[in-house]
Parts: sequence; structure tokens; C-alpha cells
Amino acid sequence: MRKPLSWTFISLLPLVLAASPGGLAAQERVLTGVVTRAADGRPLVDAVVTLAGKAAGAQTDASGRYSLTIPEGAIRVLVRAIGYKRQELPVAADQTELNVAMVQDVFNLEEVVITGQATETERRSSTTSTAVVDGADVSQVQSQSLDRALQGRIAGANIQTNSGAPGSGVQVQIRGPHTIIGNAQPLIVVDGVIYSNVTVASGLSTVTASSSNIGRGNAQDDGTNRLADINPDDIESIEVLKSAAAGSIYGSKAANGVVIIHTKRGSTGKLHATLSQRIGFSELLRGPDFRVFDTASAFALFDSALVRSYEVNGKLPAYDHLREFAGNKPLSYESQLDLAGGSARTRYFISGGWKKDNGIVGNTGAERQTLRANVSQQLNDKLTLDLTTAFVRNDNDKGFTNNDNTGASVTYSLAYIPSFIPLKPVNGVYPTPEIGYFGSNPLQTARLATNNEKVLRYTGGATLTWNAWTTDRQALKLVAAGGGDFFSQKNKIIAPPELTFEQTLPFPGVITVGNADNQDLNWNLNAVHTFVPVSQSFRATTAAGVQYEDRQLNTSRITATGILPGQTDVSQGSVVSAPQEVRTTERTLAFYGQEQVQALRDRLILVGSFRAERSSVLGDPNKYWFYPRASGAYRFPDLLGAGSEVKLRAAYGQTGNLPLFGQKFTSLNGGQTYGGNGGTTVGTTSGAQGIEPERVKEFEAGVDADLWNGRATLQATWARNVTSNLLLSRTPATSSGFNEEFLNGGSMRNISVELAAGVVPIQTSSVNWIARATFTSLRNRVLSLAVPGFRPPTAGFGLAFGEFFIQPGHSATQIIGTVGYDSDGNPITKVLGDANPDFRITLANDVTWKHLAFSMLWDWQQGGAAQNQTLSLYDCNQLAPDQGTPVGIKRANACLQDGVATPFVQSTTFLKLREVSVFWTLPQRWVQTLFPGADNARIGVTGRNLLLFTDYFGYDPESSNFGAQAITRNIDLGPYPSSRNFSFNVTVGF
Amino acid sequence: MRTLSTSLARRGVLLAALCGGLLAACGDFNVTDPNNPTLDDLVKHPTKAKLAVAATGLFIGARSDVTSLIWRFGSMGREGANLAGNNQPDYQEPFFGPLATTQFGGSEWFVEYASIRSINTYLDAVPRAPDLSAEERAASIGFAQTLKAVSLFYVIEGRAALGAPVDVDRAVSATPAPFVSEDSVYGYIIGQLDEANDSLLAAGGSFPFPMPPGFNGFDTPASYAKFNRALAARAWLFRATATPACGATCYNNALTALAGSFITSNAADFRVGAYFDYSTNPGDVQNELAEPLNGTTYFALNFNVDDAQLQAGGAPDQRVVDKLSFIDPGDTTVSYQLSGFPFAVNRKFTNYFSNGAADQSAPIPIIRDEELVLLRAEANIGLNNLAAAITDLNLVRVNAGNLPPTTLTGASPKAAFIDELLYNRRYSLLWEQGSRWVDARRYNLLNTIQVAVPNGEVPTRMPIPADECAARGLGTSCNPLGT
Repeated sequence: MRKPLSWTFISLLPLVLAASPGGLAAQERVLTGVVTRAADGRPLVDAVVTLAGKAAGAQTDASGRYSLTIPEGAIRVLVRAIGYKRQELPVAADQTELNVAMVQDVFNLEEVVITGQATETERRSSTTSTAVVDGADVSQVQSQSLDRALQGRIAGANIQTNSGAPGSGVQVQIRGPHTIIGNAQPLIVVDGVIYSNVTVASGLSTVTASSSNIGRGNAQDDGTNRLADINPDDIESIEVLKSAAAGSIYGSKAANGVVIIHTKRGSTGKLHATLSQRIGFSELLRGPDFRVFDTASAFALFDSALVRSYEVNGKLPAYDHLREFAGNKPLSYESQLDLAGGSARTRYFISGGWKKDNGIVGNTGAERQTLRANVSQQLNDKLTLDLTTAFVRNDNDKGFTNNDNTGASVTYSLAYIPSFIPLKPVNGVYPTPEIGYFGSNPLQTARLATNNEKVLRYTGGATLTWNAWTTDRQALKLVAAGGGDFFSQKNKIIAPPELTFEQTLPFPGVITVGNADNQDLNWNLNAVHTFVPVSQSFRATTAAGVQYEDRQLNTSRITATGILPGQTDVSQGSVVSAPQEVRTTERTLAFYGQEQVQALRDRLILVGSFRAERSSVLGDPNKYWFYPRASGAYRFPDLLGAGSEVKLRAAYGQTGNLPLFGQKFTSLNGGQTYGGNGGTTVGTTSGAQGIEPERVKEFEAGVDADLWNGRATLQATWARNVTSNLLLSRTPATSSGFNEEFLNGGSMRNISVELAAGVVPIQTSSVNWIARATFTSLRNRVLSLAVPGFRPPTAGFGLAFGEFFIQPGHSATQIIGTVGYDSDGNPITKVLGDANPDFRITLANDVTWKHLAFSMLWDWQQGGAAQNQTLSLYDCNQLAPDQGTPVGIKRANACLQDGVATPFVQSTTFLKLREVSVFWTLPQRWVQTLFPGADNARIGVTGRNLLLFTDYFGYDPESSNFGAQAITRNIDLGPYPSSRNFSFNVTVGF
Repeated sequence: MRTLSTSLARRGVLLAALCGGLLAACGDFNVTDPNNPTLDDLVKHPTKAKLAVAATGLFIGARSDVTSLIWRFGSMGREGANLAGNNQPDYQEPFFGPLATTQFGGSEWFVEYASIRSINTYLDAVPRAPDLSAEERAASIGFAQTLKAVSLFYVIEGRAALGAPVDVDRAVSATPAPFVSEDSVYGYIIGQLDEANDSLLAAGGSFPFPMPPGFNGFDTPASYAKFNRALAARAWLFRATATPACGATCYNNALTALAGSFITSNAADFRVGAYFDYSTNPGDVQNELAEPLNGTTYFALNFNVDDAQLQAGGAPDQRVVDKLSFIDPGDTTVSYQLSGFPFAVNRKFTNYFSNGAADQSAPIPIIRDEELVLLRAEANIGLNNLAAAITDLNLVRVNAGNLPPTTLTGASPKAAFIDELLYNRRYSLLWEQGSRWVDARRYNLLNTIQVAVPNGEVPTRMPIPADECAARGLGTSCNPLGT
């Protein structure tokens, strides 16, 4: 359980020597003073002043004042505050006043990072690579979700959007993939409550028939992962535990890393109110161009009479169909009100947000309302209670995109309609293209189709901290925490019967209603004992605890076709398909123990821990699995000049990854009828009765250096992780009657090289320039498999178009494809690319000049490959813009004659300008004039995804038809087009 | 020093106390499948009721690939085309080739074997059901083994000389069943049918589960045995062409089987037979080949009309008239073209229409009397009983096609008889089982099928699917028998 940051200094660090021994009263004196911000001289609230080497401390009030009882004689005090660099200052024997000006800690070098369920340490004492992102960094530029805002900010993480749809899914992969078919997303912990990041499919596949296999169809619905329910504006900080060592205490949830989110807390003092308003717009970022036909080139492809009928004044027109339905510049709005304040014993943070992003495709958009109340109450000297509650309503309309077999997807059917065919309505009637895809008119679909998702979510948590026992040398703290995360999701898909593609079906019109209920409960109990010997030569923190988690997700869905005109209820259909209901339950119980030792004047840090865990989804639900961890670091202060510090660190740890619910069962498929009678068939998936967790073993080593008095920082990490006992979903010989079999067996390795660097090249009273860069390079290799090489589920659409293929000695994310045929007509395949990029470099610059602040974030991905099936659609239909040229003809032939995949596996190298912002802090006099009663105000212009440089064909090199997938991402098949977003912002503080 | 396990045991006691008193109690860790019945339960604890549901499931399994087979075989035989364009392979592979080992070319395999898996599971469970009588067990076994022959027949029709595995009732983790030759597959099919027939004849008066409407007239063990014999006749004839050495043995066995089947010589009975049922009921499957005239998936190619013989009045073969229509019967110039497919199409199939409209509940024949008559003709041609063959060919020509009797005589060359047989099989079974393509291959006449597109080709057989090859460590395309 992570405690709120603002409490850390009061309740944990001072713990050891907090008691003020009454026997020494005669020698006491009182030190007072004011702590201010060096930048502007304003008072600093909640700074902590302690005796150096001890931990008894005092905290500054709203005006920055503190009062600390200190012993006689010359001493030294330590002054600390969140976000500022610590200072250790001498106090003379006769001194009673000390005023301190604190300098900002630009690179968060002194931030507190967690080391266990209820333990934490300063970042400089961390034994593993740390990644901490400030809330301001993810909320400054508008984003649709938190994970999008994190793109380009974490070394070692590959964060990729699945499409450009408002509220579309995002996948976060940290030093991975660690699994082939298991859970591929990191664990999310918000204020100590495990936060469900599940994706519940919308059911769009009931219209698109993207796959007759329900699971595969669901994956193609461009679902929203529920991290979308967090309001980035509420976030104080985000910490990413990248390694198995750092995440080991989270056991089998941590294989893909842990993202720990702290929401904002109030602070002592008067109420601070902040009101922000944004207004902006989006526009199409990029999209495929279209082929322009003359009569001759059209005759070569199409029936001449048909072509003639489309001539206008003897010439074939050329319409830009994409921009006809995605050329909008829709508005977006966002309002946010924060209230924060508190007294000596109570702190609160209350916020409300309302946001609406309209999508560039007609009839789409994402709306979110959030309410949050965080309260911390000190019940008495020893007991503290923290409460967090958040309520969210999310309302998305995503439209019809992605893979499609019926003409529903606008981006898919677009690739079938020659540019000379008009699609705009004539007298209110949308024409049915006579050359096209199921008669689909994407303009009409974009206008009339509904793909709505409404989520109501409540997340609440409570943490009770009892500083049970405190002496000079020892302290015992007990922490009990629990929380619940509940959401209900309702999906409604309406393909009205008048849609031209529906008109070609026997029962035109589809309505699907889906419901999902999620209930996650978790609690943990922890005891933390701290010991410092008389010599003060070391500090030992021992922690032990128990953790329980219960996750339940129930989904149900019903679909009707043959919808009555104008009707929107599922009951208004003439044919109702079989209802579906899926219930899943996962229960996990774990014990852990941890020992953390700091010695040699805090230069040496050693941490060891273990976790023992059982889970209901495993073959043997009673068996405990052990996950150990050991790590250490050694600091060299002032090694490279005064104020510098170099740290060497190494860590080894193990985590696990649980199978998904149901992978141990071999089912009979019910819910089927024949001749009026119910029937069961043997399911096509063979479960693994004795299924075991995957195990990730990771070793990482690195160097952290802080130079130039904190103005430059470098973190370099090399990590090697091996997942053994891999969960495999292989395709057995299909003559067995099964097309999927779950089993454990095999191992896979990742080697990750990560650099995170920061420098403040200019730091003057008027100009401050902060530059930060990350570098990430990951290499994956399948070491062994218990089965022959195999196609993972959702590997692709055939070797003639490129597919993923898992085989030992190769990267798990390699894409192979047919490059030719031997004399017997058998395809010759070869590796055509790898979804995993060669490297990724991000560069962020923040420049402030007086009242102006400018920032931008660049993201460069080099290499990587995608199965660009959007391109293959255009090429197979001979509608790509260059089809008249030899290059284009070659690609068309690859599809139509040669059956080779080479052109359709494309490099995903790109350079994106992800974020730009310019803010101007208004001078005080303007503030008072414009916003009477306000303390401060700033206005600004921000932009996201402004520029994209790439040779990739189509929409966006970042896309995933099958959503979040460990391996089979980077399949591009008519995604929702990405957009470029601009926003004007006003923030006023009272 | 305490061992870890003791320590854990003590913690367990502590935990029990916690779970009793704290927040949510710890739930049960033994979570069983809440969503579906399990395979284990059916095999270990079968009952008459569970098996009745499983028996209905066997129809579902056997039916599940039939529409796919019809349009895929039908595309390779240029009966029609799937221009859904949903996956280019749907037209690219059958018209332009080559067949891929996934997608189009990899079809008509797994679904059939999934059906066989359900059948084998059922066959494992039946003897353990305590509440089934011996007769009911025999009925159940005869029923299931007959359907196994149906599914395996679809597999070998597509793969021909590549052969197929038959001994597939083994654990999924076991070594995959070996491939056996085309002849052995037909031998296995016939063996299953013969065993089934024996069981059916010892099976009492009724099945211990409901029979669907499509088996009207074949819904008792005795009448179902006639369906079984019809399948056996077809299997013997297909074996005859696969294995010329079988010769008269095959043809005579076919005639013997036909004698036990429901064959008549009455044109009014042509549509009598066993059918797969479809419906719009929840949980059921619709006949996807029943598409309205403005549907954009399945189209009839004009070769069907061009190649048809003419009736006395100049109209084409009545079977063409009955089974084809223009997209817009009022405007024959209305056509549809798919980008990437080289020609426009203007005709649709109307096989699965009722009262002039597409009927998603229209049944699809598994085997019917009209085919049996042609099977008898084929056997008689094989045995050189040409007069008997001419009688049966004319029975179909005249009654189904409304054509004048054939000009063949006992002196006509054998090849002419084969042509006439295949002509009639083509039109009698048009868009019902892809027979044109299969028959052309059986008689080495694939070159009589129009290529239809520039640089196109007519595939000879479907490849072994990539998954099957890969699981055997044979790469993604293989020919285990080297044929």
C-alpha cells in the first residue's frame, strides 16, 4: 500500500526518532523560520525540517513557518519538500532562527519511490531503475486518456494506441513482451487500490462479422481499456515499476510492470481552488490517398458501361471519400475544478471534471465526467486514515471501423470504392455504390451508425495507518488498506436497416446490447518494523503482510437483426440471436516478507523480499508459488564534483503472470439449437487442467548519475528478463478437432537497454530550459518451446499477407510471409519484419522565459514493422494512388497474381511531434482585472500529435486491429483515423 | 528455526481469522466453469439426457462447414463466386490461385475434424450412460458413426490424393494421427458406414434423442440406415475414381449399397433425401447461401447458362431456369463489380429461395434421390451396363432438365458417357455440393472448367492447412504422403 506523498515525510521518515525524550528537556531550545520557494519567494507549505541524522521533524504551515525543538550546541538540520532539493544547513549553538529558500528538484531526484506494499524510499536510495512522471506532465496537453499522455515519457516502455478513435484502446508494454497469450498489460494501482484496466469488447463484431470466432471478433472491436476512466488532471504522480525486482512484491500481477498512480492530496492551509477550461478542435492527421482514374484506366478494371454511367461531362470525377466523412474539424471542451485545502489534522482534495472530445468521423466522440474526493484525517497522534473516492461516467461513440466482413467498417469499405463513384446523398438518399463492398456507403454509415459505450465507475479505498510503537531505535507501523473498484459498462450498437450494406442482407439492421459488470475487491495488511542501532550504522526496515484480491467480471450480450425502421431497441428486431453470458472470477491470496537495509551512512542499500501466492485460475488453486527478489545499490556522493552523485545498482527478481480465467477448462459449447432442439458441441479450445503461472526472472543493472548540482541527470539501465513456463496457446494439428490448445512450456527473453537523461542547459532568473531524453531498445528472442513453431492466435490473415510466427531462436514479434512458391506450388516464407522497433528516442524540452512557458515532446521510433492490411486492401483492389505506376502494379500483382506478402509488411519508422504547449502566466495586475479574487491565472495553446513523419502507407504506423496484444499488435486493417488536436486553455487559481 | 511451511501454516490460521472478520471474506478458490458444460462431465458422467443434447450437437457439427464447402468448391468449379471481398483470398485463391494453406485453401478441414471430435467424444460417452438400453446404445452409435462419415467425406473430397488422417480420436497432446491415402480414407469412411449400418439394424424402433425436420423419413434407425447406405454408395463410387484398380468391386458395392438406400426411379421423389436444417431461431444458424437478389456476396457465373443444353423451346436446361436469376429480373443490364475482380456479374442463385424470396431457413441437401439415380448411372457406366445407365441419365435429363433424351447409345464412347454423367451431376447438384469441381478432378477433366480470369487457374485440390503441417513440424505447407 502506497501512502500519499504528502504524508510520507510526516509519518514515515520521522518515525524512527519522532519521540522527543522528556529527560532531555533541560537542553532543548526552539528553532523557527520560514521556508520559501527560491524561484519566487513564496512560502512553501508542508516542507519538513528535521535534525540531520535524526528524523524528528516539524512541518511548515500555510505561511511557510515552522518551529522545531532542537538540542543544545551546534547542529545541522535537513530541510525537505516534495519537488524540491533537500538542503542540509548548519545551526549555530546560539541560533534560533533559520530561513530557507528551496530550489526546485527538476528531475525528481529526491522523489519517494516505493519498495514494497507499505514501504518506500527516496529515489536516490532506490535499488532499481525508477520512472516517475509528474501529474503536470500528463495533464498539461489534452489527451484522451492517461496512457496516451504517457507516450514518450518512460524509458523502457512501449506505449502504443490501437487506433485514433476517441477513447480507443492503448497498450503499454514495459520491457516486454513477457508473454505470448497471457495478460499483457501492466498492473495499475491507484492510491493503493488495484485498478481494473480490462477491455470489455463493444460487440461491434456482431455487425462487422470480423470473425465468426467470438473471442477473435471481440478483439477486433477496438475496445477501450478502462484506464480511460482516470482523469489525468487528478494525478499527482505516476511511478512505473519496470523490473521484476521492483514489482516482485506484486507477484503474479507484476510480470508486465506496475503503474502506480497517486492522485492529488490537499495541503494544510487555506482552500485553493483551480478552475481550468479548455476548448479546442481536432482534424484528420493523415490518411491514404486515392487513385484518380481516367476513362482508359477505369475501363481496364471495370465494366465499361458501369464506368460510363459515372462520367460527368465526359470525364470521370475524383472524390476524396475519406475527407468526405473524416474531414470534420470537431470541437472539444474540457472543464476542471479542483478544490484543495486542509487543517493541521485534515486535508482534502475535491475535483470535478467534464470533458467532451468530438471525433473526426461523424457521430463519434468521447465524453467523461469525473468526481473525486480524497480526504486524509489524522485521528490521533498515532492513527491516520486516508480515504479516496472517485466516480466516473464515460460515454463514448466510436463509430464503425477496423476489420469487417459485411461493409460496416467505414475505413474498410473505403478501400473498395473507386474515387469516381459519388457517395454524397442526393435528395437525402445515400447512393449504393455499384462498385464497392457489400454496397456499403461509408458516408452513410458514418452518419447513421451508432457504437455507444457508457461506463459508470466507482473506485474507493481506505488506508488506516497505525504508528503502533515508537522508541528511540525502533518503530512499528501497521497499515491496513482496502478498496473496491466497481464499474458497469453498457454497449449499444445500432446499424439501422436503411444502411446500404444492411439492405443487401436478408434481415437488414442490427442492434446489439451489451452489459458488463466488474467488481474488484482487494485488501492488504502490513506490518513495518524499523530498527536503527545505537551506533546508527544502519537502518533496517522489515515488512510483512498479507494481500487478498477478488476480481469478478460478468458480461452479457444480445443481438437482433431485421430491425424495424427507425427503432433503436433490441426488442424491435425480427431475428434474435442466442444471448451470450460470460462470468469470470479470479481470487488471489498472497503473503510477503521484505527486508531493507541502509548502511554505511546510507550509501549501501540492500533489499530482499519474497512473496508466496495462490490463485483460483491456476490448475491447482491450493498451491503456493514463490517469487523472491534481491537488490542492492551503492552511492558515491560527490564523486564527480560537489553536489554530484553516482549510484551503481543491481537487482534480481521474479514475478509471475497468471493464466486468464477459463484457460484450464475444456468446455462444451452450449447455446446452440438445431431443428428446434438444444445441442452441445465440443469446444474448439483444449484447456490445460494443470495450468501454471508464467515466471519472469529479471536481472537489471544500472548507473544513476546526478551531475552539475542537480542540473543534469543520467539513468542508464541494462535489463535481461526471461519468461519461463510460458503459457502457450498453440494451434495443434487441427485434425485433432481443436484449433487451440493451452499449455505451459517454453521460454522467451528480452534484453532492454534504457537511458533517461535530463539537463538544464540554462537556468537564470528569467530563463529556464529543461531538456529530457529517453532511449529505449528492446530485443526479444524465443529461447525454447514445448511445441513446434506455431502461429499465435490472431497471427494475421494468411501468409500471403504476412503473419506472426513463434519459433525458437527468433523474435516472438517477427512477421513472416510468403515471398514466392517452389516448383510444387508450396509457399516459400521468410522473415519480413519485426513488430518490435529497433529503438525509440524521445526528446522533451521545457523552456520558460519570464511568464512564458514553452514545451514540446518529440517521439522517434526507428524500425519495427506492421502488417499493413489497409495497404493490401487498396492494392488488391487496385485503388492505391500509385496503381498506375510500375511500383503500384507490382504491389497489386503481389496480391492478385503472385500471392506474396513482401509489400504488405511495412516499416513503422516514424517521427511524431506528440505534444506542444505555450503558456503565459498572466501578470498579477491582469489577473486581478480579468478574474477578480483570483490569485493567479495562465492561458495557453496546446497541441497533440501535430506532426507525423513516416513512409508508412495509410493512417498511422501505430495501430492494432486486435487491440492490446502481447505479440500480435501492429496489424493495421482500416483503423479509425488518427487526429491532430489543438486546444486553447485558461487556468485560474483562487 | 522455523520452516517456511510451518510459518505459512500459522499464517493460514491467522488468515482464516482475518477472512472471517475482515472486509470481504476470502472466496472459494475452487472455481468451476460457470459458463459452459464441460467435456469432462459428459465423458465421465453421461446420461441419456446429456447425450440427447450432444446428439443434436452432432448435427450442428456436421452442418457447420456445408455452406462454406458449397461456395468454395463452387468457386473452384466456376459455378459461382464469393465477391464479398471481405477477404481477397475468397476469390483470389480459387480464380487466380495458388490456394494458400491458411485462408481459403486451408478451409474444409478443421471444422470437419471438430465435428469428428464431437462425434468421437459422443461415441466414448455412450457406452458409459447408465440409463441407455442396449438398443438405444446401438442406435446412438450407428447414428454417430454415419455422421462421422459425412464429415470425413467432405475432407477427402477437397484433399483427394493428399490423403487425410482418420485415426484422430486421441489426446490433443499426443502425436497427430498419421496421414493415410485417399483410398484408405474412403475405406475408413465405408468401414464406419458399414459398422454403423450393423448397429442401426440392431437398434430397435427409435432413437433416444429427437431427430430434426431435415431427417423426416430417416428418423428411425431403420430408415436412417437407408440414408447410411446412400452415403456408402457415394463413397464406393468416389473410391472407384480415386483407385481405378478397385474397378468392378467398387461399382458392384455401390450398387449393393444403393439397393439398401432410399433410391427410387420416380422423378417425383427427386427431392426426397436427408437435409441439413437452418433457421432464424436464437442459437441456430441461417443458411447463408440464401441471399436476396441484391445481396453482394454470392453470384452465379454465366458459364452456367452458356454451357447449358437447350430445351425444346430454346430455353436453357430447366435446372438453370430453376436455380438462377438475374440480379434484377426486370433489368438484365444491372450488374455488380468488385474492385480487384476482373469482370462484372449479373446473376444470382435462387436454390435457397421460398416463394420467390431468399429463405434463410431453406434446408441444404446432404444427399437426395436425384443424386442417387445419377450414382446408379455412374456405377452402371463403370460396369459397362450402358443401357441401364442411359435409362437413369434420361430419367434425370428429361425430368429435371426438361431436355430431350440423350443421343448416347450403347456404341458411344465411354468418355461421352462420362461427359453426359458429369453434365447432369453439374446441373442437378448445382450450388449444392460443389460437385462440378470434384467430379472434373475425379475424371481428370479439370481442363474443361473455364479459367475465367486472366492469368487464372483452376486448382486441382486443396492443400493441407498450415496449422496441420506446422503441428507436425513440416513447415507451413506439406504433403506428408508425397503424392
